[in-house]
Amino acid sequence: MDSLSELQLDALTEVFNVGAGRAAASLSEIVGDEVKLSVPSVEIRKSSEIDNEVIGLGTDRFGAVHQTFKGAFEAEAILLFAEDHALEIVRDMMSSQISIEDLAEFEQEAMCELGNIILNACLSAMADMLNIPMDCSLPDYTVSTIDEIIQRINAGEVDAYLLLLHIDLVIEKRRSKGHLIFVLGSTSLVKLSVQIERFLGAI
Amino acid sequence: MKKLLIVDDSKVSRMVIRAHIKAVQPDWEILEASCGEDAMKITQEGNVDFCTMDINMPGMLGTDAAEQILQMHPHMRIAIFSANVQDTMQTRANSIGSIFVAKPVTEKSISIVVNYFMG
Repeated sequence: MDSLSELQLDALTEVFNVGAGRAAASLSEIVGDEVKLSVPSVEIRKSSEIDNEVIGLGTDRFGAVHQTFKGAFEAEAILLFAEDHALEIVRDMMSSQISIEDLAEFEQEAMCELGNIILNACLSAMADMLNIPMDCSLPDYTVSTIDEIIQRINAGEVDAYLLLLHIDLVIEKRRSKGHLIFVLGSTSLVKLSVQIERFLGAI
Repeated sequence: MKKLLIVDDSKVSRMVIRAHIKAVQPDWEILEASCGEDAMKITQEGNVDFCTMDINMPGMLGTDAAEQILQMHPHMRIAIFSANVQDTMQTRANSIGSIFVAKPVTEKSISIVVNYFMG
């Protein structure tokens, strides 16, 4: 098994749509401004196929928030922002009065919090809609290149499956693109597809 | 017999809304569209009573489509069904004369929508 059916991907997209909507509502309260959401798209890739072009953020350094999910299946979730945008988002979260230089010391904590909000919103949507309780670890934040991120992904399992969620979260005039990646082992991908089939079968 | 148009770019979402509506209103005729532009065409062709409308879709925003549909067909009732639960979206839905209902689609949210349509 190396993919999901079109209908399964549609269902998963809708789950993430609800998740991203919840995340945007929380983010909007934090930054005090509307957060514009793009139509999300979901694709499954092997980790060996991942490069900068697939990620599509047009940069080689990312602010990356990692969190591990456990439940009906296991997944590592990674939220990626272009590094320069990450600092701008932190500034929006803290206060626009603070200079970019001073922000560096808050970056770690603020990005973890941001990742926590977005990843948990997606997780809670998945848990609610597919009716599968999930737990997650505390978030950690690193600034990494794509190679370092792929190395970390492949450390867990050779040729793992990646569930890529492309969604733009745009705050005010900032074009702050965020990308969400779920790393699933092949066993977890099968388990996830079983849960989605169950959801589709219940409609 | 009432005619309902379901507008959503997600096929699964349309399936879920259709199934919930059929369960409580088995006689309604149900049409589907996957974008705002198609929704406008279908409502022009005739006699649609109710509409559920997603917001984030390829092409125009669902709220913009709903606004134009309501201007041309003021007798219609539209429920904006969206995952984008920010206050600005809810305010926008209310300002154009529709109601806002948060996704995911559930029995409870469908009953709010049906009550609004029939009320």
